[in-house]
Amino acid sequence: MTAHAETHDHHGPPLAHQSSRVDARVLGMFLFIASEAMLFGSFFTAYFFVRVVNPSAPETWPPEPYHFPVFVAGVNTAILVTSSFTMHWALQSIKRGERRAFLAGMVLTFLMGLAFLLTQVVEYIHVGFNTGDGAFASVFFGLTGLHGAHVFVGLTLLGMVIVRGFRGHYTPEHHHGVELPGIYWHFVDVMWIVVYAAVYLI
Amino acid sequence: MTTTLEHATPDHPGPDHGYPEHYEPPRGPYWRLFFGPGLVRGVWMALAFFVFGLLIVAGLRWWWGWDPILHWEVIAAVAGMTTAPIGFLAGIGSFDYWLHYIVGRPTRPEDHSGHGATSWKDYFRVNTDHKVIGIQYLVTTFVFFTIGGLMAMLFRAELAQPGLQFVDPQTFNGLVSVHATLMIFLFIIPAFAGIANFVVPLMLGAPDMAFPRLNALSFWLLPIAGLMFVTSFVVSGGAFGAGWTGYAPLAEGQPLGQTFFNIGVQWAGASSIMTALNFLVTIITMRAPGMTFWRMPLLVWANFTTSLLVVIATPFIAGSQFFVMFDRIMHTSFFVPDGGGYVLGYQHIFWFYSHPAVYIMMLPGFGIVSEVISSMSRKPIFGYRLMALSLMGILVLGFSVWAHHMFVAGMADWLRVPMMITTLLIAIPTGIKVFSWIATLWRGRIHLTTPMLFALGFVTMFTIGGLSGIYLGSVPIDIAASDTYFIVAHIHYVLFGGSVFTIFAGVYFWFPKITGRMYDERLGKLHFWLTFVSFNATFFPMHYVGLRGMPRRVSDYSEAFGDLNFAISIASFVLGASFVVFAYNIIVSWVRGPIAGGNPWRAHTLEWQVTSPPPIFNFDEIPQVVGGPYEYGVPGARHAVMSAAAAEPQEVRA
Repeated sequence: MTAHAETHDHHGPPLAHQSSRVDARVLGMFLFIASEAMLFGSFFTAYFFVRVVNPSAPETWPPEPYHFPVFVAGVNTAILVTSSFTMHWALQSIKRGERRAFLAGMVLTFLMGLAFLLTQVVEYIHVGFNTGDGAFASVFFGLTGLHGAHVFVGLTLLGMVIVRGFRGHYTPEHHHGVELPGIYWHFVDVMWIVVYAAVYLI
Repeated sequence: MTTTLEHATPDHPGPDHGYPEHYEPPRGPYWRLFFGPGLVRGVWMALAFFVFGLLIVAGLRWWWGWDPILHWEVIAAVAGMTTAPIGFLAGIGSFDYWLHYIVGRPTRPEDHSGHGATSWKDYFRVNTDHKVIGIQYLVTTFVFFTIGGLMAMLFRAELAQPGLQFVDPQTFNGLVSVHATLMIFLFIIPAFAGIANFVVPLMLGAPDMAFPRLNALSFWLLPIAGLMFVTSFVVSGGAFGAGWTGYAPLAEGQPLGQTFFNIGVQWAGASSIMTALNFLVTIITMRAPGMTFWRMPLLVWANFTTSLLVVIATPFIAGSQFFVMFDRIMHTSFFVPDGGGYVLGYQHIFWFYSHPAVYIMMLPGFGIVSEVISSMSRKPIFGYRLMALSLMGILVLGFSVWAHHMFVAGMADWLRVPMMITTLLIAIPTGIKVFSWIATLWRGRIHLTTPMLFALGFVTMFTIGGLSGIYLGSVPIDIAASDTYFIVAHIHYVLFGGSVFTIFAGVYFWFPKITGRMYDERLGKLHFWLTFVSFNATFFPMHYVGLRGMPRRVSDYSEAFGDLNFAISIASFVLGASFVVFAYNIIVSWVRGPIAGGNPWRAHTLEWQVTSPPPIFNFDEIPQVVGGPYEYGVPGARHAVMSAAAAEPQEVRA
């Protein structure tokens, strides 16, 4: 519960009793992320079936003659991981009331996320195979596509924070609107490291 | 993600911000009808978003030079089942608050205009009151229950005699599949969510759910999913016919209707994940002072564990249906052997959700029955803590048994015995619950009201279903009985004799609380006995025909089973007719039943300590909880003090 209104000048509900130290919105975000992690889990299960369990699993990964752009995706990984740090910087700045640093951090985070997504689109165009080229391509597009969709959602949330940030809606006391998209953004980054490791590296 | 029973979000400093408090200039009634949030705007925005989705698909296909530009299967998936529903939701106003937030306009102070219902029209709009949402859920789910039941009677008519009489095999498969899908995703799961929506915040001493707007949104996803399942009959090729399990690769060769299943499940699943998340946050953060976890009513415990199951498991069915849809539309090969896909993977992923899902369909019922049995036998629940812990035990074990659905599917042999053992282990926490209910009844002052009859009917029928579940959990019997009517008998003993009986028990039990009026006890008992007898007459013989070897999911069968099937069909029509008694009783009593009073069952939990129906914000003052919820007949014991002013002993005691 927000539980911020002290007085009731209108007929409203009684103030809910806060029975946990955890903020409801933060808890909700973590439960949502748990659910999201399981959605990724189902995609990783499909990946595991195709690559390990299946008796006719390909001997090399990806199967000849295809290649994954490991290096480009690695640079992309670095960009996304860096954006997690700038996100953290932005949140710390607004907590200290440094508005310019907060806005700079948010814009940097957004631009890096956008760069990641556009790089991925370019990668799709030049990767040399399509969804119909076998199960390895299915899990490649499945996992990276699912992650890309999450980056898109994350960017929408970040964009929202930037718009409201420039309007001066956040203060050192009230920054949940920054913190929650931030948690989500960190989740998206961590998930990418797992996806990158599973699909490109091993 | 914002929660607001109170004014604005904390991110917004408040009205002294320089913005005017209300931006909406006064408009005429016609303007508001077409452009204000509501069903009218929902319809035209759904159409507009359909066109938008169609243009995206056609535009991209034209850009890439793909033929045909108007590919109707893709358009149905993208425009018909994705963008149009989003347009509808935006139109009825589900996103209005969030859109204001997203574009950076200051959030409006909450004036509670979306809370509560003063006329029937308030049930047809986005409403943030958990009590209104609970009623919306229950009415919607019973509508789909009726539709699904009529489908069952249609295919029972077909099955009354060997040979084909009324429908062709593909339509028969469609009827069976849509029947199961509606009953599971549009009746049992959301009906429990409806009851819990109404009751749980009251039981906790909370003014509403933690995220009222999310709650409203998750309700409105439900009719969308239901509409998709039902309308799949009208598209070319007919409804999806691969069963509610939608096994690949069977589902991948099905006509267009299968896509309706793939995407409808996503909407229903999203709805239930959001509701579960809301329940969890509400239960963790909004309990009344003194309401420790060990003082929570068992219905709250049941919904807590169920919600954990939903949040963790439901994404797996989303994944499985995504894969099938990608295979069908985007030519991927997740489950296509020629492309290197792994066919059996579908069943693993699907059952990793759908086995926990049978507990999602059962645990809330356990909670309802605990409430009913305790208050109707005027005794504390026997072994309260163990009842709660056994729920948690089922939750944990429930994730380790999925492959018992696949003993004959050709999966790895070594997986069989571990899955058999965990399956049989689930009988322990479940058995604890059954014995606890019996021990609660022992030497109680039993009141055989309609909800109590349904609760007792549940305990007996569910035990039969549970026992046949133990048979099926052991590998050798399962191999013999797989894909016979024995399975159909088992599933209906646990889901009809189990879940549906508890839903009836819950609806009768909280009917006076929800409506403020009493149902007709005589008609209620008639409904129970008709249902109970015809239920057994319908499903008990199926054990026998199954063991004799009649396969399930067939529209035509051997002459040898003709007589029994005829009897089963007649019984099933009586079962269908028994629902008319229920519907009549509920509708008439809702309109002009006798006034029920606040606490007709003299129960102790918090929802009974307020008026019927409860006040718009549940409590004038958050109650103070001082003891357990089931201390019936214990001298001096009480569950809660309703207000500081009325701290004198009141009639919370039995």
